[in-house]
Amino acid sequence: MPASVRTLAQQERRFALALFLPALLLLILTTTTPLVYLAWTSVQRVDLSMPWISGFAGSDNYAKMASDPRFWSSLTLTIIYTASTVVLQVAIGLALALLVMRIPRGHAALRVAAILPIVLAPVVVGLFWRTLVLSPDVGLVDVATRALGLGSHNWLGDPQLALISVIAMHTWQWTPFAFLVILASIASLPPDVFEAARIDRAGAWKRFIYITLPLIRPAIIIVIILRLMTALSAFAAIFAATGGGPGTATEILNLYAYRTSFTELNLGYGAALAMVLLALTLTISFMLFRLRRAR
Amino acid sequence: MSSRRWRTTGLTLIAAVLLSIWVVPVLWALLTSFKTERDVLAYPPLVFFEPTLANYREVLFGASSILPNLVSSVIVAGSATVLTMLFAVPAAYALARLALPAKRAGGFYVLATQMLPPVGLIIPYYLILQKVGALDTYGGMTAIYLTFSLPFAMWLMVSYFEDVPPEMEEAALLDRAGRLRALWHVILPQVRGGIAVTTIFVFLNAWNEFLFAVVLAGNRVRPVTVAMFNFISVEQTQWARLAAGAMLAMAPVIVLGLLAQRHIVKGLTVGAVKGGGRR
Repeated sequence: MPASVRTLAQQERRFALALFLPALLLLILTTTTPLVYLAWTSVQRVDLSMPWISGFAGSDNYAKMASDPRFWSSLTLTIIYTASTVVLQVAIGLALALLVMRIPRGHAALRVAAILPIVLAPVVVGLFWRTLVLSPDVGLVDVATRALGLGSHNWLGDPQLALISVIAMHTWQWTPFAFLVILASIASLPPDVFEAARIDRAGAWKRFIYITLPLIRPAIIIVIILRLMTALSAFAAIFAATGGGPGTATEILNLYAYRTSFTELNLGYGAALAMVLLALTLTISFMLFRLRRAR
Repeated sequence: MSSRRWRTTGLTLIAAVLLSIWVVPVLWALLTSFKTERDVLAYPPLVFFEPTLANYREVLFGASSILPNLVSSVIVAGSATVLTMLFAVPAAYALARLALPAKRAGGFYVLATQMLPPVGLIIPYYLILQKVGALDTYGGMTAIYLTFSLPFAMWLMVSYFEDVPPEMEEAALLDRAGRLRALWHVILPQVRGGIAVTTIFVFLNAWNEFLFAVVLAGNRVRPVTVAMFNFISVEQTQWARLAAGAMLAMAPVIVLGLLAQRHIVKGLTVGAVKGGGRR
């Protein structure tokens, strides 16, 4: 009997490996191998416009970053862009979810409206905003500001406005995500908790701070994690709307690494920039998962 | 009583206005796709105008037709989806239900691969594919699409396999050939819905991809997200054609998104719900 149990367990392990290993090998081949090659490239001189200088560069690419103002500017922009879009999405998404919870009907229509921006390709969103939404004179936003007497602006041409515009664009596309997840979380809370609080005559604000917020905290942390990941890998919408410009006003690290690699063809330096981005992403996600486990 | 009703009406109105912020730009693009280029630039903007199908005709059959690009997108997103599902479904079953050795480490590895910054992947892919002469090929592009679709599909499928009642497993406790048959005939039918939803999301993400596509695209393989830039040049932006092209390019994902709308929250949050937990 124990022998047959052992063979059964062994059989299951073997079967499990047979199912899992093909996908694992494919993942190693498609994700980890290129990553090793990225790390290798980041210590090389790889400049396709000057192929004759190729060779081992040691830490040169990394050392170059320290004195590269464009790198520091892109790093700062990445932090501003990521922090502001995540805060805005969570705040607006939460407020909207609380509002919608107090409406008895029409949730289905609201959900359809919220899904629309999520399924659109970011590059299409960027192009829509560049033309139909933010274009001076005839863009929807410009029409609105003119009608309100705020005047016409060059939303993507002015460095400061351009940064605000791309932050607004990202917030527009992804707030529905935060909204839907938080809404689902609030909707799944047991109603008797709120009844008890209402009987205790707890005010709406107190009910929110002491009951709702702690209960939906896990959902909010999940939203923050996922929104951070999307913001850190944002590329297509900014590329389509401003291309990182004007100048380098909206050039987040992703765009800088892209431009360095594929416009200036300096892939060695681009790889080093991408390694910094990788380190940043891994550090932030590690911290967040710690936070999530800590409760 | 009536003050309460007023309040509900007021709240509904506020919510409707806020949500229209998301609908209006898309509807505006739809409207624009039926305008002539002259009507597009009219001020104040025209809500009522004589609609034309010229943009769609041009975008489909004209000089800057996106039909080849739609075909490209179907092939790339389609083959990435098929490959992803073929590998992800069995692997997810092993992760969710079987005594897989080093399960925790395996699950964590899959999750970690999902966090790689895309720009960090495209640089080595470009160099490698250039070396082997596979830039601008379906094979190269499909390979890099797997980097985001495979981990995603595995995690989403794990969550569906976990929902299958454990009693079903009894049937799987047979010999080796029996296990496979049990998986095929007993377990997989239970997760048919999950497979459909996962397929939709994988296809949707692959269809919308842009960074990999724009770097690897050439004359042969040029997905529709890259082709959108055909309508934008320094001299002139063809807004109405861009809108028509975008509508055609986005119609499939809008339909798929609406089909899967009840599952969208699960599909969007799956990695983070699982990751860093007990597993």
